[in-house]
Amino acid sequence: MSKDYVQQAGMNKDVRVDGKRVAGKLRFNPPGSGGSRPEMAERDLEFIPELEGGNEPQPAGAHLHDGLRTGTTVGKRTPLVDANAKVTGQAWYGDDIRLPNEIIGRIVRSPYHYAKVKSIDTTKAEELPGVIAVSTGVDAPSKFGVLPVTKDEHAMAVEKVRHVGDLVACVAAIDEETARQAAALIEVEYEVLDAIHDPKKGLLDVDEPIHWRGPYHIGSTNVQKRVFQEFGDRESLEDTTKAFHNGKWKFMGVNHGFTEPHAVVAHWDSNGRLQLYTPQQVPHYAHRALATVLEVPMHQINVIRTYVGGGFGGKSDPFPHEMCAAILARKAGRPVRITFDREEVFWVNRGRHPSHIEVKINANDDAKISGFEIDALIDGGGFASFGHVTSYYNGVLATAPYELGSFHYTGARVWTNKPASGAMRGHGAVNTRCAIEVGLDDIAEKLQVDPIDLRLANLLPPHSKTITGFRITSNGMRQALERVREGSNWDEKFRKLPVGKGIGIGCGFFISGSGLPIHWDPHNFPHATVHLQIDMDGGVTVHTGAADIGQGSSTAVAQVVAEVLALPLEMVHVRSHESDTSPVDLGSYSSRVTFMNANAAIGAALEIREKLLNAAGEMLDLPPEKLVLNDRRIYFKKDPTIGVSYLEALHKSQEDIGALIASGAYRTPPMGGVHKGAAAGLAPAYSFSAYVAEVEVDVDTGLIKCTDVWAAHDCGKALNPLAVEGQIIGSCHMGLGQVLSEQMVYGRTGHLQNPNFLEYKIPSVHEMPNVTPIIIESCDPEGPFGAKEAGEGPLLPILPAVVNAVYDAIGVRVNDLPLTPDKVWAAINKKMKREKIDDARDLPVPRLDFSELQKKLVKRSAEHKIRDARRQRREDEGPYLNGVLFGLDPTLPPEEQDETWKISVKPDSSQLDNLGLAGTAWTKKEQRHMEGGK
Amino acid sequence: MLMPPFELHQPKSVSEACAIAKELILAGDEFDWIAGGTDLIPNYKWHINSKPHVISLAGIDGLSEISMTEIGCMARLHDIAESQDVHPIVSDAASKVASSLIRRNATLGGNLCLDTRCFWFNQTEEWRSSIDWCHKCDCGTGADCRVIPNQNELCVATYQGDIAPTLMVLDASVHLIGPDGIRVMPLVEFYKLDGMTRNVLQPGEFMLKITLPDDAADWTGSYRKLRVRDSWDFPEAGAAAAWKKGDRSTLRVATTALESIPRRHDTEVAESNGDVKAICDAVYKSTKPVNNTSLPPRYRRNMIKVLIKRACEE
Repeated sequence: MSKDYVQQAGMNKDVRVDGKRVAGKLRFNPPGSGGSRPEMAERDLEFIPELEGGNEPQPAGAHLHDGLRTGTTVGKRTPLVDANAKVTGQAWYGDDIRLPNEIIGRIVRSPYHYAKVKSIDTTKAEELPGVIAVSTGVDAPSKFGVLPVTKDEHAMAVEKVRHVGDLVACVAAIDEETARQAAALIEVEYEVLDAIHDPKKGLLDVDEPIHWRGPYHIGSTNVQKRVFQEFGDRESLEDTTKAFHNGKWKFMGVNHGFTEPHAVVAHWDSNGRLQLYTPQQVPHYAHRALATVLEVPMHQINVIRTYVGGGFGGKSDPFPHEMCAAILARKAGRPVRITFDREEVFWVNRGRHPSHIEVKINANDDAKISGFEIDALIDGGGFASFGHVTSYYNGVLATAPYELGSFHYTGARVWTNKPASGAMRGHGAVNTRCAIEVGLDDIAEKLQVDPIDLRLANLLPPHSKTITGFRITSNGMRQALERVREGSNWDEKFRKLPVGKGIGIGCGFFISGSGLPIHWDPHNFPHATVHLQIDMDGGVTVHTGAADIGQGSSTAVAQVVAEVLALPLEMVHVRSHESDTSPVDLGSYSSRVTFMNANAAIGAALEIREKLLNAAGEMLDLPPEKLVLNDRRIYFKKDPTIGVSYLEALHKSQEDIGALIASGAYRTPPMGGVHKGAAAGLAPAYSFSAYVAEVEVDVDTGLIKCTDVWAAHDCGKALNPLAVEGQIIGSCHMGLGQVLSEQMVYGRTGHLQNPNFLEYKIPSVHEMPNVTPIIIESCDPEGPFGAKEAGEGPLLPILPAVVNAVYDAIGVRVNDLPLTPDKVWAAINKKMKREKIDDARDLPVPRLDFSELQKKLVKRSAEHKIRDARRQRREDEGPYLNGVLFGLDPTLPPEEQDETWKISVKPDSSQLDNLGLAGTAWTKKEQRHMEGGK
Repeated sequence: MLMPPFELHQPKSVSEACAIAKELILAGDEFDWIAGGTDLIPNYKWHINSKPHVISLAGIDGLSEISMTEIGCMARLHDIAESQDVHPIVSDAASKVASSLIRRNATLGGNLCLDTRCFWFNQTEEWRSSIDWCHKCDCGTGADCRVIPNQNELCVATYQGDIAPTLMVLDASVHLIGPDGIRVMPLVEFYKLDGMTRNVLQPGEFMLKITLPDDAADWTGSYRKLRVRDSWDFPEAGAAAAWKKGDRSTLRVATTALESIPRRHDTEVAESNGDVKAICDAVYKSTKPVNNTSLPPRYRRNMIKVLIKRACEE
């Protein structure tokens, strides 16, 4: 123990209670050694797991990281570390970057839906005084795209423009006004082609497909990707079906509607390196694409992620305007800034796909879900973007949380002459989830059972496998359903409210990080890497490439480091903005950051922790495993008076090597099946959620008001409950927009009619219901301290919960989102005519008279509850494969026990005649299989 | 988004404003009046009918009067909504306009003279170029109307002001001033059924104030607005009704956001003998909204029956 400085509370306490620092009395400067408060804070036992001697309950049992908990910050409501910068206006967003000598870039866009670019004459623009640089597609012939398998974008049009607003050329001038004038002076000669706006037409052969994929092109259609998946036993469906649901849905496209429009600043520095400032969710993929398009090595580019004013998936593609800014800056020799108008944001889009989805659900005599059949035709717009993945997600993310007797999915994504669709919060899962959860509501009604009990009696347990082979670890679905049932007083309200008032349930299931990186990687590079560095001042610098887009990833990583090292959050500084200083992180998409990045950070912090404990052990002559870290102090477990300060231990361990440096990395474990497409939807963990929504419908006008939402989300472990609740409430708002009012309206002529925030109707504060967030902690065995995602999954259940509540209120199902008042009114009106009713208040609304099955379900769910609790605590570690509910042996793959159990990713010829709308894409052959194939 | 440059004139009095207007007219220069700017400036940013000169009324004192029988053209909607002196139907309608931020700036005069709206028209210049321009806006281009194509004459853009129908049912008069003096007329005669000319204002004229009959306080009624969101949104349809307390035979009904003008339905009311359902049906028959706002016209037309019924509720 240090003889110069005694920190332990109770010893020499009176010497330093005033906080004064006495010169010469301290070995080291105060920071890190206790600051102006020399007493060590007491261990906060409320936030230390019970199995480690604390008071935090652990219903799910022990966790790998329990021993690293110090009660410092994990589990506590923590304001985000970048909150001060944002609320004081000091955060630097894309358009806040002002470099000396900057000029302004402006993009010339196509006025046509689909056209060949015959010629571009830039002469007049170049002659305009004040214009510094002009560029067209010939300057950047290389293709790019976020997915390496579908690179189909150019910085600017090469040969063709594919939607109104597609990039044709760009200019840079001394100010915005000159740049706009110059843009108007660029003369482009087009040959207009026949445009496609209806995705159904995208399935047909045409003369001039929007893209051409050579030997892999599907016929001469506009099908970008098609998927077929068949699992399980469909043979027996017709014989055993007790209730059948068939729902045909139409979903309009929606845009992320983030606050900050896209903005970029590009600057080639004095060494000829590109410095690119951009609000990006995936700086690494932008980095790669820039290198390809600009034809410079990656190490000659520094991507600087500015603060991001909202992303939601809409800033997770490398974007052509980023290339344009770099090209213009290279030509001009000056920094170029481009900031979008809102309309341009809608033109670059990447929002949720407009979709036609058909869902068929069979339930058998025992109210088991014997069949899911999904057909999803999704409208990709002009480019592929994330569409390859979306095509899978629309089906495969419906395979849980329920145990299924069979699963059949056909999906197709088609190109149309619209702004490209892409990834948006709840990527690919949202629309199908809505259709399925509404289908289950209908099935419950047909079986005359409670829809919550129907769900509770058909859930997959923790530590199980879905029908397509996803590995489910922690699973809080059951608790989520139970909590919202209780919170909303469901049993007193469901099917009992008067006409015009209704209550509905919806569930959600989402990936917590995608199992495979976007770029196929033979070297098994880590998905996330975190470097820690502590110099003699005691402050911890965290280097991570994880992009904080407002979701709080910097806070999460700071929290886990602070937790492991038992340091106040203020001592941890996250540096995540520059690719020059950050290790590669794949980006903020697929809800991967907390899970992967925090795990990597724990790994690095663990290394530092060991070094500190070893140093302290050496100083105290005690074995490191007998030492405890708490609030800037390391001491003997049995006698806290024997200890050293954090700084002393730090300096001791720095004596030989200088700054302490450590690195941690995260890779997903090997998992998943071997069938084609098995990797899509694979994740190291999955989140679960259940919402109950209550609505009021004005039966005369069709206007819907969502009044209350009880929102339960299983995020494994809330590292920061404040942030989790924020995500839940924010998700409700965003999902509510899609279900009630938001839509990208393409009018009679195919033009986007509402590319502005007046007519693109994001709910206002008046439309926001009271949301009661309920956090479920199932403690994921592989998540950092048990945590899983909370950013996207919570969006899913709000849509079906509202749709089901509307049905409860008016007895009419509307399968066409958003539920704008005109559609609801038309549905009510139709029903009134059918029922010969004059006053909408006399509408018959559904009532529930339980059938015999209800008791069966209650009994089964009670049994399953016990099963699930045992599996969650790993008291039962036996394998559980989807199909056990249908009598299969959990230890053997189903296909080995049941000869009718199919696993197929391609329709056989007998199936070709019976495919859904999107499935008809399989009736076409790829060019290489066609006669005279190209 | 950059506005095209314009010269801003800031007169200190009504007479100075009229003099500037006259001077500009004589010089052949086009100009717009600006009050709160919440309608004009967004349009300018989208390069919609922008003019080289703008005359602001903001510096003129005495235009913000608010009382039961008189409201000045520069009275802010927020103040009208909050005022205890204004007729409750009018203050209620004012409180439903756009958002609280906009109401702080927007004025009565601006709301009554609101430019008509259409989703082919309220778009950026770049957007309009992609539809080969709009008849209402890009006049030199010979563009057709996109709402009702193949006719190059009529503009069917929709008037979406909230306050006009409430003033109409209270029988308000409008006072206009211009280089040629003052004109007073009933508000119901102020509007002209054409999405481009919109109203009877002559070049150089602007709205000074509105006045209500002395017995305005004896009238009761309400205003109903159809909109998807309870903030920001323009009315997709709106109905105001008023009658003298205790005397339903005096019932007046006016609607907005269904055509290029707000309209008072005196004929329909008279023919229906005060039967509200009959009034609803008659107005339904006489009104034909077009597809240029966010909700479909068939729905808006049907909703007018609900709105009138509710507005007439005692």
